[in-house]
Amino acid sequence: MSELTGQDNAEAVEVAAGDAVTVTGASMVFNPGTDSQVDALADIDLTVASGEFVSLIGPSGCGKSTLLRLIANLIEPTAGSIAVNGKPAAQARLDQDYGMAFQQSGLFEWRSVTKNIELPLELKGWNKADRAARAQEMLELVKLPDRGMHMPWQLSGGQQQRVAIARALAAHPPLLLMDEPFGALDEMTREHMQAELLQICEATNTSVVFVTHSIPEAVYLSTRVVVMSAGPGRITDVVTVDHGRDRSESTREDAGFYKKIIEVREALRGAELGSETRGIEDR
Amino acid sequence: MIHSQRWRTAARQALLFFVALALAATVWEFYKLIGPDAGGTVFGWRVIPKTNDRVMPHTWSMVAELFDPAIGSRDQLVWEVLLGYAWYTFQMSIAGLAVGTIIGVGLAVLMARFRIVERGLFPYIVISQTIPLIALAPQVTAIRGSLDWPQWTSAVALAGFLSFFPISVATLRGLQNVPEASLELMNSYAAGWWTTLRKLRFPMAVPSMVPGFKLAATAAVIGVIVTEITLGGLRGVGFATIDYSQKVTSQPASVYAAVFAASALGLVMFGLVVGAESYIMRNRPREAQQ
Repeated sequence: MSELTGQDNAEAVEVAAGDAVTVTGASMVFNPGTDSQVDALADIDLTVASGEFVSLIGPSGCGKSTLLRLIANLIEPTAGSIAVNGKPAAQARLDQDYGMAFQQSGLFEWRSVTKNIELPLELKGWNKADRAARAQEMLELVKLPDRGMHMPWQLSGGQQQRVAIARALAAHPPLLLMDEPFGALDEMTREHMQAELLQICEATNTSVVFVTHSIPEAVYLSTRVVVMSAGPGRITDVVTVDHGRDRSESTREDAGFYKKIIEVREALRGAELGSETRGIEDR
Repeated sequence: MIHSQRWRTAARQALLFFVALALAATVWEFYKLIGPDAGGTVFGWRVIPKTNDRVMPHTWSMVAELFDPAIGSRDQLVWEVLLGYAWYTFQMSIAGLAVGTIIGVGLAVLMARFRIVERGLFPYIVISQTIPLIALAPQVTAIRGSLDWPQWTSAVALAGFLSFFPISVATLRGLQNVPEASLELMNSYAAGWWTTLRKLRFPMAVPSMVPGFKLAATAAVIGVIVTEITLGGLRGVGFATIDYSQKVTSQPASVYAAVFAASALGLVMFGLVVGAESYIMRNRPREAQQ
């Protein structure tokens, strides 16, 4: 089996040149062989092209966060292979080819905003002047140019999340991995942040894999919405959204936008019904 | 704004401290006023303490005692002599706290790094604190003697022995109490364990470490005082307590003067930790409020 994986890996890397993420036949089983065995993901294939914005959406337990962690190499798949930026995921993590943002901003309370943004640069061994310059650049990117000396607790939830995004992008990674980054924000702030995230990605040409619970959020942000379902976690549908990268507030009220929301919604329901039917058949 | 608020809190706490002190003195004096001079019995049990000046000296005579000329050194007042003793004990307490910090934090890091060390070591760390200090003192002296170290190092060793425990327990708890998301973040930067310790675990552990250090600071003083009393030869506050208690018949208030010095020293040590805390936590008021 190890030989097989090795082959897959080599193949994946070849194919992946030019793609931000290539997931090939990835499975994830937690606690294998015990009573608490969980088949989190089964045989996932997913390619994210460079510059693409891909959302993962699905019910709780469908493994969307697990898939994100596999891409980030925070966990190793039990089978299959993952390539990021044309390299094995482990190498991509060592090279810091991606930035990550979570639902909780996870800012370090003892560091000023600037110092938080500098953290990944510090770990990469950048010198002080370069770090400060980049931190300021990032602060301007996320529209908090004069908040550098503030402490995280002095910022609102939305501002904290912007700092977290600035931190994730500080080293200019080509890929951004986000796990419900706006999940804890109120609806207005959330819409505002979505628009800003799109602008930032446009400006920096960053590819994004974005985990979310919200259908409108997924449709608004993505070029492709990947619909997943649980037990075991798998991809049941992929909805392509073609209203281009040039999205504004009016996009949200567009007829095409609603059509896509309905399409994703039906894909989600279909996936759910499918697994229910399967459940009945199993019995 | 935050700063003025913090000052107000500090001022209120200081005020409360003196109010409590005044209250205690009032209760003492009130009982002395109404209680029977020769004590009393309840249902045949001798439970009511005597209130004569030998058993319960007036609070003001305790304070006045501080300004009497010291016996044996006519040119100095009692408080001046006690201040000298307190300084001597203070130095050893600080050294003991430093030793306790190095050992306590070191053990906590080891236990946080290696699960097996925690399992194996932690029970012994707890057991170590059940050993009476007085039983340990002669052994420490014997080892110290064989090493040819000066006598005061015994006091430092025993102060360290008492103070490392709260530090290591509190530090271990702090090092282990880190959100999974923060660990994942460091992991996503491919940061190793030591980098994660330096950049994440230690700074995050500070609020949990503070209570341990507060206990350790006063424990260090107790360690030195007990050593002074047990071993002799060290002329600090512990020595003063013994020395003055021998004068209890002639100057009953004098023993309290030594007690004042000991508790003042404990407060100073405690205050140093609080000062260090408010400096380190100056930008983290949310966590400091815990």
